[in-house]
Amino acid sequence: MVKRLLTGNEAIAEGARVGGALFASAYPGTPSTEILETIARQGDVRVQWAPNEKVALEVACGVSLGGGRALCAMKHVGVNVAADPFFSASYSGVGGGLILVSADDPAMHSSQNEQDNRHLARAAKVALLEPSDSQEAMDFVALGFDLSEKFDTPVMLRVTTRTCHSMSPVELDPHARYEPVLRPGYERNFRKNVLLPANARVRHEAVEERLAQLEEFGNHERALNRIEWGDRTIGVITSGIAYQYVREVLPEASVLKLGLTHPLPRQLIREFGAGVDELYVVEELDPFLEEQVRALGLHPVGKEIFPITGELDPDRVARGFGIEPLGAGIEPVDASLPLRPPVLCAGCGHRGVFYTLSRMGVAVTGDIGCYTLGSLPPLESMDACLCMGASVGMAQGMEIALRAAGDDRPVVGVIGDSTFVHSGITGLVNTVYNGGSGTLLLLDNGTTAMTGHQEHPGTGVTAEGDATIALDYVAVCHAVGVRRVREADPYDLEALEAAIREELAADEPSVIICRAVCRLVDRTPIADPAELEIECPGCGTCFELGCPALDGSSGQAVIDPAVCSGCALCVQLCPFCGLRIHGHEAVVQESVS
Amino acid sequence: MNDLERPRNVFLTGVGGHGVLAVSRVIAEAALARGFDVRRSEVHGMSQRGGSVVSQVRYGPRVHSPLIARGAADILVSLELLEALRHLHALRRDGILLANEQRITPAPIGGLTVAYPDDPRGVCEQRVDRAIFLPALDIARELGEEKAANMVMLGAYSVLAPEIPEATWLETIATAFRPRFRELNVAAFGAGREVALRSAGAGAAP
Ligand SMILES: Cc1ncc(C[n+]2csc(CCOP(=O)(O)OP(=O)(O)O)c2C)c(N)n1
Ligand code: SF4
Ligand code: SF4
Repeated sequence: MVKRLLTGNEAIAEGARVGGALFASAYPGTPSTEILETIARQGDVRVQWAPNEKVALEVACGVSLGGGRALCAMKHVGVNVAADPFFSASYSGVGGGLILVSADDPAMHSSQNEQDNRHLARAAKVALLEPSDSQEAMDFVALGFDLSEKFDTPVMLRVTTRTCHSMSPVELDPHARYEPVLRPGYERNFRKNVLLPANARVRHEAVEERLAQLEEFGNHERALNRIEWGDRTIGVITSGIAYQYVREVLPEASVLKLGLTHPLPRQLIREFGAGVDELYVVEELDPFLEEQVRALGLHPVGKEIFPITGELDPDRVARGFGIEPLGAGIEPVDASLPLRPPVLCAGCGHRGVFYTLSRMGVAVTGDIGCYTLGSLPPLESMDACLCMGASVGMAQGMEIALRAAGDDRPVVGVIGDSTFVHSGITGLVNTVYNGGSGTLLLLDNGTTAMTGHQEHPGTGVTAEGDATIALDYVAVCHAVGVRRVREADPYDLEALEAAIREELAADEPSVIICRAVCRLVDRTPIADPAELEIECPGCGTCFELGCPALDGSSGQAVIDPAVCSGCALCVQLCPFCGLRIHGHEAVVQESVS
Repeated sequence: MNDLERPRNVFLTGVGGHGVLAVSRVIAEAALARGFDVRRSEVHGMSQRGGSVVSQVRYGPRVHSPLIARGAADILVSLELLEALRHLHALRRDGILLANEQRITPAPIGGLTVAYPDDPRGVCEQRVDRAIFLPALDIARELGEEKAANMVMLGAYSVLAPEIPEATWLETIATAFRPRFRELNVAAFGAGREVALRSAGAGAAP
């Protein structure tokens, strides 16, 4: 055995290999993305990026049905998208072991909400595992596959940003050879796998029996649930990363560490509760364990002293227990220090689109991706951003309400390419079907930029790096019934605005595809850096672009040639024609006119 | 002293793209190679686009939390001065600040740059008893590669961490990066180590 430092995500990937997974699928989403990326790099388990989480899970369900072990990874909100197959796969059970990794994001480091997905495992009535470090993340995957097959249940492995992105030592067998665990001899099983009502009623009985058996298992399986007896005046029930904070803050206390948190081992909890004077529950986000412990007639202290919002950390746990601050630190520097907030890259193709929209007095339903930054100053041209794909449906709904109120402001939807594939197409079907007339801007930067530049069905490359058929957006839009589909260069402001005006004027739905490869995917400059050819009078027009290469703090425009990518947006805006780019004469002349 | 009774808490910070995470990785790997229990965490939201980056490493006989309690860091390693200021309160009162003198002005927002603090070094020195500043960027430039400034800082850190022998550092650096950067990284590490040793010898900090 060798010890290696792995992040939780790398450990889950290692677990998939050690556990004999045949297949892994995912749709990217922080903090889960590196799980599939790591499995792909290892090159053993077959991997796929799916267009969205629902499809990712359905393919995994198919692999499981056929007898292979499958792992499916997504961020917490992805499980909402995959909830339909997830809840019903619970009734069908599995063939080969099936694990859904839900990577939750307490504190919303990179998410639109901080839902606690343990509730979903409970609602779906499947086994729920919560590792507290990388070793457990790896072990629980291998163990999860066994559990899944033994109890005929999908397993949710619930991790959080801190477990995903923290490193801790993991014991690995350097000689272990990858060998997928298969259940050969697939046979049709109508009663189990075809969820007609008559079959599903029988399956629900099986699900309840399975939960009882899992609970009994959890009462005794020390690899998952264990009591660490210590000082018996304080007993803490905890799970996941919170366990580490409890151990840090109260090294002497008795702890019931839960790894299998649904179904809960009620007998073990009672035994623990009876063995300590004061009982506490320390868990991140919702009182998921606490309420169930209370239902046993025990009286734990929990959310009245530990926060229900945000992440726990050693300080918050200590404060809850009334322990002095752990560190006696240096006073923070109170002067308002300049921040380094996220901005669209210099030369990003999204910039011209939002700049144009900001001048047009239109309502904009936005979506999730790098382009959500178009909602921030100075572009500030997004009215809403809800969840992936919502831009399309919301645009049509908003149009209905605005018109009813006698407001004739046009509504524009804005969606990224990966998001369009994820869940924008069905929205577009709806717009066409129900007679909407809005315009959708499809921002095609050839990647899933926000989550670190993953391939997707529109890029023509698979997760395994093979060339494949790229989704043809124009054909898709035509196929769902959009007749007005056109392309517009997001680096040509005048043409872009003209295209948007024209499409908005048409009394039928339209799509404008704005194509510009993400600057971090293709870093070759578009042209030479922009240069000032006159003494800049400081009118400030070009500052409105919010380009990080353009500094106006001195009152004059100063361009950082190391950052500028030569996109020429500022050149088109300068009312004095003082900005130039070598080899961009055509654009410059246009802006003169 | 070559053994630790309690975990050593190292808080690292800098700006995306400048190799903070690489430094924290080498510290974590070297600590593991030396036989310590290790935890390391990172926040790298928008790191590719020049945002603030934070990483924390803890090592010792037994470590649980990947996060350092506020005001409990033994050492704050900062690859940039503004980020050192921003995270000064991570340090214990008797903690050590090890900072690269480099200043990176935040990208202008809407064409406007917020003024960079006047005297970040002075503010640090006023609050931290043991503050060490290194011209890591200049040293790396002399070696022919600006990007190696992070390894200069690592070299300086190694002087403050006698619990990990020099040989372990060198072995870890050798395996952590692609072979073609090995020589440069080792040279930068050595240069940082030397500067820190010299300033220690001269009776300045630490
Ligand atoms: C259901 C769901 N899955 C995944 C995510 C994570 N996520 C946020 S934006 C995004 C994709 C962005 O890609 P794209 O639409 O191409 O825009 P870009 O960032 O490239 O501009 C993803 C996967 C999410 N927020 N919600
Ligand atoms: S990463 Fe790509 S899509 Fe995101 S802001 Fe930068 S250039 Fe634009
Ligand atoms: S050309 Fe102008 S807008 Fe484009 S990247 Fe350079 S400075 Fe920014």
